[in-house]
This record gives sequence, structure tokens and C-alpha cells, in this order.
Amino acid sequence: MGRVRRLVLDVLKPYEPTIVVWAQLLSELEGVEAVNISIYEIDRRVENAKITIQGSGISFELVEDLIQENGGAVHSIDEVVAGKIIIDDAATPQDPYQG
Amino acid sequence: MPPRVRRRVQELKEYCELAEVGEIARRYFAMNAFDGVLTMIGVLMGNYLAQVRQPAIVISTGLSTCIAMGVSGLWGAYLTESAERKRDLDELQDRVLVDLSQTKIGRASRTAVVIVALIDALAPFISALAVLLPFFFVAFLTDIAVSYYLSLGIALAALFGLGAFLGKVCRGNVGVFGLKMITAGIVSMLLSYLLRTA
Repeated sequence: MGRVRRLVLDVLKPYEPTIVVWAQLLSELEGVEAVNISIYEIDRRVENAKITIQGSGISFELVEDLIQENGGAVHSIDEVVAGKIIIDDAATPQDPYQG
Repeated sequence: MPPRVRRRVQELKEYCELAEVGEIARRYFAMNAFDGVLTMIGVLMGNYLAQVRQPAIVISTGLSTCIAMGVSGLWGAYLTESAERKRDLDELQDRVLVDLSQTKIGRASRTAVVIVALIDALAPFISALAVLLPFFFVAFLTDIAVSYYLSLGIALAALFGLGAFLGKVCRGNVGVFGLKMITAGIVSMLLSYLLRTA
């Protein structure tokens, strides 16, 4: 199977451990080269995070285990890129206008 | 340090940070060490005013008091803290809709209970035992009265130390905090002394 090179996840997590710790832990996983985490919603005691992981061969199982170990829950897998190179989604006329 | 031990220490540090043990442990330590010293002042003043002159009696009553305070601290803190932490974890679980008991957060919570209970037990036990120490060396002293004075002196010094610790925690005046603590010890001694005259 092709190697997963980019993974974008929507995750619900407790405030602690902070996203600083999460980013460090995720970046230490095998096959991961970079991690970006941004918070887009804050609720009582929990927050919603968009996690973007890029690397040469990301294991979704390892990522999910780490997220669960730290008290988080994957709400959805929003984007996956696999193969030899990283490509973005192609533009189509049906896409919402973003002018 | 062997890698396994280092890993365990690192894990423990992580749990303490995650479960915010530092602040609550500091609070429990200061409160219970204070209780330990003041209780021992009460025991010693009672013995002194009742003119107890046998060190064995002072030691046995003192040690029993130390043990009772230790056990009380251990049980009380363990039960209170586990109830509070369980409630806290349940509340968080309701938010993330995931069973957190086997996660880092759950383990940190359980570790915190044990650490806090141990601090709650050891703080009064050790502080009270320190006050009682001179009675173990009565044979080397001229008179048991010297042990009483030494013990009360240690108690006041311990209170000052605790005050200084709190002063340092809040980055306040260490001396002022120390004196406030000592005042509690002196008030306790005076009130006990008044019992004799009453």
C-alpha cells in the first residue's frame, strides 16, 4: 500500500496536555516530519483541534493511539494524501467561490 | 541513573504536571505540617502542665499522636482526593465521550491521589516527630525540662520555616510569614498555659 504523506484530523481534546506537548509527541512518531495543530473552538474543559501531519510514511494507527492515550478523540479524518508525492485537491467548477 | 528508572521518573513528572499535583501538594504539605507542629505543641504543653517527668510517657503519647495524624492524613486525603479526582475525570469523560481511565490522564489522576495522600500523611507525621525528637535524647540532657524547652523551640523554628516556605511560594516577605506562623504557636502555648491557672 502507498505511504501516507499527509493527514488532516479533526480532534476533540482536553486542555491538558496542551497542543505544544501534543505537537512534540506527534512529531516524535516514526515517519512523521512535521506537525501543525491549531485550535478552532474552545469549550468548557475541551477544545477542538485541527491536526495536520506531514511525513514520509505516517501510520494512522500510531497517530490514533497517541491521540487516545492523551485523552483525545478523532472526530473525523478531513484529508489524506498518500503516494510518492504530496498533491492538493484539484479545483473544480463546483467548488464554492473563494474570491 | 538507569534508563528504566529515568523513564519512570520522567513519567511521574509528566503525571504530576498533568494532574496539577504541585499546587495541591504544596497546600496539603503546609497545612498538615502546621497541624502536626501545633498538635504536638498541645501534647507537650499538656504533659508539661500535668508535670509529666517520665520521657517514656511523653514519647508514647507523642508517637501515638504522630501515628494518628499520619493515618488520618493518609485516609482522609486518599478518600477525599479520589472522590474529587473521580468526579473530575467523569466530567471530562462526559465532554470527550471517551473512556479516559486507561489513558495518560486517568493514570495521572490515580498517581496524583497516591502522591497527595502520602504528602498528607507524611507532613504531619514528620513535623510532629521532629518536635518530639529531644525526648529521645533525655539521657544526654541534664533535666527533662530541657527537653520540653528544646521541643517547644524546635516547634517554633519549624513554624517559622513553614511560614518562610509559604512566603517564598507567594513571593512575599519570608520573615513576616514566618512570624505569623510563630504567633500561632505562641498563642497555642499561652492558651494551654492559661488552663493551669484556670
